[in-house]
Amino acid sequence: MPLRVAGVSKTFAASDGASVQALDDVSLEVRDGEFVSLIGPSGCGKSTLFQIIGGLLQGDRGTVAVDGNALNGSRRDIGMVFQEESTFPWRTVLDNVAFPLELAGLGKAEREERARRFVRLVGLDGFERKFPDELSGGMRQRTAIARTLAFEPRILLMDEPFASLDEQTRILLGDKILQIWRELKQTTLLITHNITEAVQLSDRVAVMTYRPGRIKRIVEIDLPRPRSSEIIASAEFGRYVGLLWQDLREEASRGMADAERTTA
Amino acid sequence: MARRTLAIRLAMLLALWAVWEIAARSGLFYEGIIPSSFLVLDSMGRHVGDPVFYGHLARTLYEVLAGFALGSAIGLAGGIVVGAHRFTDEASAPYLHGFASTPKIVFLPILMLLFGAGPGSKVGMGAFSAFFPAVIAVAAGMAQVSPVHVKVARGFNASFLQIVRKIYLPSLVAPAITGMRLGLGVAIIGVLLAEIKFSDRGLGHLAIQHYNFFRVADMYAVLLLTFALAVLANALMGRVGKALLRRPVPA
Ligand SMILES: Nc1ncnc2c1ncn2[C@@H]1O[C@H](COP(=O)(O)OP(=O)(O)OP(=O)(O)O)[C@@H](O)[C@H]1O
Ligand SMILES: [Mg+2]
Repeated sequence: MPLRVAGVSKTFAASDGASVQALDDVSLEVRDGEFVSLIGPSGCGKSTLFQIIGGLLQGDRGTVAVDGNALNGSRRDIGMVFQEESTFPWRTVLDNVAFPLELAGLGKAEREERARRFVRLVGLDGFERKFPDELSGGMRQRTAIARTLAFEPRILLMDEPFASLDEQTRILLGDKILQIWRELKQTTLLITHNITEAVQLSDRVAVMTYRPGRIKRIVEIDLPRPRSSEIIASAEFGRYVGLLWQDLREEASRGMADAERTTA
Repeated sequence: MARRTLAIRLAMLLALWAVWEIAARSGLFYEGIIPSSFLVLDSMGRHVGDPVFYGHLARTLYEVLAGFALGSAIGLAGGIVVGAHRFTDEASAPYLHGFASTPKIVFLPILMLLFGAGPGSKVGMGAFSAFFPAVIAVAAGMAQVSPVHVKVARGFNASFLQIVRKIYLPSLVAPAITGMRLGLGVAIIGVLLAEIKFSDRGLGHLAIQHYNFFRVADMYAVLLLTFALAVLANALMGRVGKALLRRPVPA
């Protein structure tokens, strides 16, 4: 199912009376079954866009359409994985993953059976009865991903799901994500500020400007599929990373200067 | 528990007992103020074997449990209402915290006017005491409910009621248990104080009876038995709390 974001803008009223324009006329299309990454410096409005697409936040202008239909109310087709720690500490891994099925009113036996499949898919078999505080950060994030997958969305939205993880875990989880994507074939939009991750996983990478967030440029990643993380060593891969960094450097510097000005 | 902790606890108990016994036999105190621990132990044995004691115990248990249950229930519900909005939370905070730190015994006359001199006013004291820790802990807990958890549920199209049942309530289990543990303690205090002040039955009444007739060893015996009861109740609450916290949430 294709996802189309058209002309989305959002301005926040800050607590000190000033206002922050987070998004300015953002348009982006993710084709059916495509893997697109959205990359941008910290504070450029990525999470804001994520929440608007997911229907948790109202944009000031613009539309979000799934399969050609503008979204309003029900978002059965979009599954969200959040940037922050989001597993429920009072539920076991299995009960966390079964959560969306429980909301849908499925019986215990059926939802556990279905949840098991997604626990296996993210490689957490054997940990079904553990609580989140007994897991590593990476395992908790995989639990959150499995929970969203159990919702069986046609469109998968992820907001920096690996931001808090170390580089090696992140790269390996990238492989896992690609393997799941091949199996489930959802249209995927991954939000990240990690260039390697964006190139490793995506068909296309959209670069955002720093405040107000706009789409600066879209880079087609013409690397062979199926990919594994070994591709990181290739010259081709390095070229894409370099290319994206050129685009991002200017934005990131502006973001940093901005942060220094406000803290000074 | 570590064996060392246990050993130290035992040693503390022995030391306390030795100090007591030495003080009792030293003749430094006016006769009878500190009776020999053996007299107290003997009296405890007699109390435990006496059906009359169980009448008092049953009354106190009833008053504590009924008051605790009533106060906790109202406190938990009130905490959810108060904590639901920042406005209600901020508006009510000075009253709740003010009342919470006022000794509830000053309200005993009012409770006696309302519920009579019998068990009613004691249940009222227990409820009144248990209410404040519960309401304050749960109201604070409401503010701690993770916004991300709520967003996750909304992202899965959860209804308002589902969000309350599956996000808010489980998030409130820990603060509710904290509030109720404190609540049980102050409910016991409230009930016993009320019994000591004015009553016809109960452990507090029994202790004050012994006191009035200068049966000091008997008085200590009742106090120690009451103390054991409070320790037991607290340990039990701790157990229940741990079990509740670790139990996977039912559908
Ligand atoms: N609820 C809000 N109220 C006011 N300002 C907000 C709010 N949410 C976000 N902002 C502001 O909007 C801008 C974009 O925030 P957003 O969280 O979308 O950034 P981000 O790109 O996700 O950053 P990061 O990479 O650090 O997660 C920031 O300047 C932030 O301070
Ligand atoms: Mg963000």
